[in-house]
Amino acid sequence: MSNHAADHAHEITGPKTYSMILLALIVLTVITVAAARFDFGNMNTVVAILIASIKGSLVALFFMHLRHDKFNAVVFVLGLFFLAVFLIWTLFDISTRKTVLPSNLKQPVQAFPGAPLNKPIRPSTGQPLGAPPAQ
Amino acid sequence: MSDVTTTVHTDHQDHAHPPGLQHHFTNMTQQFEAAKLGMWLFLVTEVLLFGGLFVGYGIMHSKHPEAFVAAHHHLDWRLGALNTIVLLLSSFTMVMGVWAAQTGQRKKLIAFLLLTIILAMVFMGVKYVEYSHKFHEGLLPGKFYSHQGDTVPGQFMFFSFYFMMTGLHGIHVLLGIVAILWITFRAWRGHFSAQYYGPVDIVGLYWHLVDLIWIYLFPLMYLIS
Repeated sequence: MSNHAADHAHEITGPKTYSMILLALIVLTVITVAAARFDFGNMNTVVAILIASIKGSLVALFFMHLRHDKFNAVVFVLGLFFLAVFLIWTLFDISTRKTVLPSNLKQPVQAFPGAPLNKPIRPSTGQPLGAPPAQ
Repeated sequence: MSDVTTTVHTDHQDHAHPPGLQHHFTNMTQQFEAAKLGMWLFLVTEVLLFGGLFVGYGIMHSKHPEAFVAAHHHLDWRLGALNTIVLLLSSFTMVMGVWAAQTGQRKKLIAFLLLTIILAMVFMGVKYVEYSHKFHEGLLPGKFYSHQGDTVPGQFMFFSFYFMMTGLHGIHVLLGIVAILWITFRAWRGHFSAQYYGPVDIVGLYWHLVDLIWIYLFPLMYLIS
C-alpha cells in the first residue's frame, strides 16, 4: 500500500500486511497447541513463553504500529524491562531460599530473652507487657 | 463537536482550527502523539498490573508443579484455543477499523468496529460456558474449592490464579466493548476523518493489549505440562 494520508507523519499499513500477520498469528497458535503435546522436559514453559512472545511481538509491531513508532516502543519496552526485573529477581529469591534465614527458623528467636513468643511485648524494653520495668 | 469548534473559531479569530483539534495543541500531529504517549503509559501500568499476577502464578507454579498440572486438566484447551482465535480475529478487525479511519472510509470503519464488538461478545460467551462449567464442578478459587475425588492436593491454588487472571482479563474485554461502542457511535456521527482518527487508534491500542495478555494467558492456563 502506497496510500498515504494527508498527515504524512504516520505510515499507513494496508489490509494485505494485516491479513498476513493474522495468518501468521493463527499458525503460531496451532504451533503453540502442537508444542504442548511434545515433552521438552523442564523447557516446556520456556517454549510456550517463547512462542507467545513471537506472537506478542507481531501484535505490538504491526497491529499496534510500534515498528513506525520508535518513541512509544521505548516506553513499552521499558515497561517490559521492569516486569522482567520484578519476575526474575523474585524467582531468584524463591529458588535460592534456604532454611537458615531467620524468618524460616523453626526455633524461637532469642532476640528478646525473657519475652515469651506470641505474647505482646513492650517495644521499648523487649519485656512482656504488664511486667515491671527492667532494673 | 462541530459546535465546540465553531465557538473556538469565534474566540480565536487569528487562526482557524481543523475539526477535532483541541485549541491547546499546536497541530493535529502534536495532539495525536500526545494522546498516544498517554495511552502507552497507561498500557505499561496495565502490563505491570497483570505482571503481579503472572509473578504470583510463576512462584506458585514452581512451588507446586504437580497441583498445577493436575488442575489444568479440568480446563478444555479446545475452548481456550477457540477463544485465542476469536480474540486474534477481533484484533485484526480492530486494526482494519483503524486502517479504514486512516483512509477516511466511514462505512468500513463502522462495519469493522461492529465486527470487533461481535467477536468480543463471542469471546465472553465462550468464557461464560467455561465459567459455568467450573462453578458447576466446584472448581473455585481458594476456600470455595469444593471439587470431589481429587488425587493431587492443592488444586485450589491453580483456580485462584485462573479466576483472578482470566477474570481481570474478562473485565478488560467488557470495558473494551464499551470503549469500541463509544468509538462506533462517534464514527456514526461522522466525527472521524483521515486527518482526525486519534480516538480510534487509541482504543485500538487498548484492544490489542487485551489480545496480547490473552496470548500469554492461553498457554500458561490451558497448556501446562
